[in-house]
Amino acid sequence: MSTRPDAPTRGARRVVPVHEVNAQIKGRVLNVFDQAFWFNPLVRAVLIIGAAILFGIAVTTPLEVWQQALFSIIMFVAALVIRRVAGQFAVVSLIVLSVTASIRYMYWRLTSTVGFVDPLDMVLGWGLVAAELYALTVLLLGYLQTAWPLKRKPIPMPADNSTWPTIDIMIPTYNEPLNIVKLTVFSALALDWPADKLNVYVLDDGRRPEFKAFCQDVGAGYITRDNNLHAKAGNLNWALARTSGEFVAIFDCDHVPTRSFLQLCMGWFLRDKKLAMLQTPHFFFSPDPFEKNLGTFRSVPNEGELFYGLVQDGNDLWNATFFCGSCAIMRRGPLLEVGGVAIETVTEDAHTALKLSRAGYNTAYLGIPQAAGLATESLSAHIVQRIRWARGMAQIFRVDNPIMGKGLALGQRLCYANAMLHFFYGLPRLVFLTAPLAYLIFGAQIFQAPALMIVAYALPHIFHSSLANSTIQGRFRHSFWNEVYETVLAWYIMRPVTLALINPKAGAFNVTAKGGVIDQAFFDWTMARPYLVILLLNFVGICFGIVEFVGGDVDARTTIVVNLVWALYNITIACASVAVAAESRQLRTTPRVSASLPATIMLNNGKTIVCRTTDFSQQGLGITLPQGVTVPTDQDLHVCVFRGEEEGVFPATVVYSKGQTLGLRLDKLDLQQQSKFAQITFGRADTWAENWGHASVDTPLGALREVSLIGMRGMKLLSRSLYGASRTKISTSLANRSSVSKR
Amino acid sequence: MKIVAVVSAKGGVGKTTVCANLSAALGLRGHPVLAVDLDPQNGLRFHMGLGTEAAEGIAAATLARRNWREVCVQGPPGVSVAPFGPMNESLRVAFEHVLANDPAAIRRQLGYIGLPADTIVMLDTPPGASIYMRQALTCADMVLVTTLTDAASYATLPTMHELIHHYCGGSGNFVGYAYVLNQVDRSRELSRDITEMMRADLGDRIAGIIHQDQSVAEALAFNRNVLEYDEHCRATHDFIQCAAWIGAQLQSQVTAS
Repeated sequence: MSTRPDAPTRGARRVVPVHEVNAQIKGRVLNVFDQAFWFNPLVRAVLIIGAAILFGIAVTTPLEVWQQALFSIIMFVAALVIRRVAGQFAVVSLIVLSVTASIRYMYWRLTSTVGFVDPLDMVLGWGLVAAELYALTVLLLGYLQTAWPLKRKPIPMPADNSTWPTIDIMIPTYNEPLNIVKLTVFSALALDWPADKLNVYVLDDGRRPEFKAFCQDVGAGYITRDNNLHAKAGNLNWALARTSGEFVAIFDCDHVPTRSFLQLCMGWFLRDKKLAMLQTPHFFFSPDPFEKNLGTFRSVPNEGELFYGLVQDGNDLWNATFFCGSCAIMRRGPLLEVGGVAIETVTEDAHTALKLSRAGYNTAYLGIPQAAGLATESLSAHIVQRIRWARGMAQIFRVDNPIMGKGLALGQRLCYANAMLHFFYGLPRLVFLTAPLAYLIFGAQIFQAPALMIVAYALPHIFHSSLANSTIQGRFRHSFWNEVYETVLAWYIMRPVTLALINPKAGAFNVTAKGGVIDQAFFDWTMARPYLVILLLNFVGICFGIVEFVGGDVDARTTIVVNLVWALYNITIACASVAVAAESRQLRTTPRVSASLPATIMLNNGKTIVCRTTDFSQQGLGITLPQGVTVPTDQDLHVCVFRGEEEGVFPATVVYSKGQTLGLRLDKLDLQQQSKFAQITFGRADTWAENWGHASVDTPLGALREVSLIGMRGMKLLSRSLYGASRTKISTSLANRSSVSKR
Repeated sequence: MKIVAVVSAKGGVGKTTVCANLSAALGLRGHPVLAVDLDPQNGLRFHMGLGTEAAEGIAAATLARRNWREVCVQGPPGVSVAPFGPMNESLRVAFEHVLANDPAAIRRQLGYIGLPADTIVMLDTPPGASIYMRQALTCADMVLVTTLTDAASYATLPTMHELIHHYCGGSGNFVGYAYVLNQVDRSRELSRDITEMMRADLGDRIAGIIHQDQSVAEALAFNRNVLEYDEHCRATHDFIQCAAWIGAQLQSQVTAS
């Protein structure tokens, strides 16, 4: 073996540039064990043509029901066996099986099931086909995007920090409260970077005097303008014209960077001179409305984790990392070259990255959370934010379509296309949620094929794609949750996306409200309306179906059962979506972060108690005391929190004491203490990385149970709210009646 | 046998307290420890739970040409203590004369005891340059400089540095010297600032930071070390952490040689 230095080493991925391989091929006998063999153009052509022929046969060969069933079972067993093998090869194999099953289904669907005669059948039938084609396209593009995540590692900075570049940190803000912005500014000022090469600027579009005073006190720059044109993008561009650092790091005002952010991220810029933008994950220390209302914080991967955990890493392979507006670094030169931050659309970030890619610059993604922020707090705020993203992506699709235009490689075009197509899920999702009703209620034959045949073709398509996605997405998205997330948003993003497609210029920029308080748990009836309609429709459909099953044609029973199962699934998903609309109470205006940090309590008599924190917020700390030690409430004391050898001491009062658990309120910290507290808690480099991608790995059946349980909870919540609402109504009407009778 | 000399450039920095509590902490870690009081004040025994009765000590034993083993008493778990012993002026002068004429006297006496090979000997010395400190530095494998985080202590660091360079290295296996910052209170601005300055100056030569803690003084009043007196207090944890650092340093030296 040692005579073949170019043999790929087991485990390590050694990529040999093509020109090198071609040089090796010359004058050598071809050997199938050589990597060079597989790079031979002739070998490749033969293989590709052979594979295409085999694929064509696998997709197009018509089979009887039992043959198709047998073929499906063999394929599925193969997939289950492959799934047990770890590694990228297994993933790619599962993708191949899934693509085969899905294309075979779609081929059959388009050739054998669309012989519609009745006009109603035709309209509804082709509607479903269109939705399915959309889903298939997104599925295939998704595979391309996520099959091989790059998993880039940080590059260390050179030891001599006199060669390090200058960086401007920009923190745009508009209407967010000062105490939230403070945290970000303190942490930005404490970034590990030579002080003379780091400038922190607060870009205040709210032009608030207390912000100006604060910036002066702590030594941050403060930039304002006399208008708010183009919102955040305009704000950034205004500041770009007034600063001069070689690099610009952008943080939303509620994204708190950890001290290591710059040192971990900047290495790649020194290595790759064409690198114009590096993005890191958006990590949230507070639960988003899904997590809050469903009680799934840190146990089920949230909506964003798939994107930052997998999709961005996959994009990176294709040099198509998206800029997400915050927690990212950009090289000033290229940014100015493309005209600064894009202002044509409401998702200025993604559009800016697209322009940089078109201009021939590289982008990168580093999947280590180096900053954390506040998630949207209520369902309505969450929906407003997603509407903006969806609108923006549709706008880019119109004004600067990535499939067209110059400067992009094919991989980049496809990644961007998928990102935009993804946001068109609204209508197709609603089609899937109502499709079984076509048959159950209207008796429309939207599938012109026997029920068993449909099952034999459609199930492999569904099962293989679930299995492949579950394997790829494992820790970042649990099965079926995608349906829940999409169902919650589908109705709301459908209209703005369609409008933006028709007229990209319509509409205004929305700012997401953050840091709010929900005084009382309530059911958001307004927001839940679409899911309730879907729920009701499917419920009616099931009633129709049962009646038909009992009293109708015996031959149609299989078809009825298929549609009933589908409707039942839709009800489960709709119920889970309903549960999201039950807003739970949120009292704290600043969120609490769970963290076990070494700490010490210093009592006023000079005694000390070594302990650990359970959580921290800007205003206080939770403490666990050692066994048998107690501290009474209302005591003034000092609390030390440690980060390695570093230590912060803060005055505090005991506001809660029960057994070994203490609640401390931090008392009137001065600016220096506030800054220290931010550095030693929110700014810790290790805080967020520990929680990243550590959700339990997906098992499809486990996830189905999860979603079903949440669905049942939604049903319970709904009936309780209905009961409550009807009681209020009855009592009001009774009261009215009694007052009438008194008259 | 590894000899660790605990020294300080000026008095009142809590050197004996540090020596006693570190000995107890090292003993808890499972090292056999011999704590030797080389200070005529004969104060180490108070920290070791030995009481006030006047026991014989190493000074008298040396002059009487007896093995130090005979004056060693059991201290906290894992720790033997060799007190300096009660002194009158003529005895002290005679003992110091011995030390002055024989720079290796202490190392030789320690050798005669026949300690297990993995024993750590902790030498407590009087503050400032003295014949005792000179002996201790000459025979030490490791020197721990105890200092407060105040301006006066900060000013004495160069003197101590100079003394160490002058006398250390005699044992042939010299591991190095390190600093123990004592009575640190970072809620006070001055203590905090000087702690940060010392951390910047001394870097990885800091063996430990011992926080200001009422329990240390209280433990002494109860004639015990702080580890026994208050297991949950900051100082206890600091001493344990510092002992771990010392243990690791001595260990790495053993594996390196």
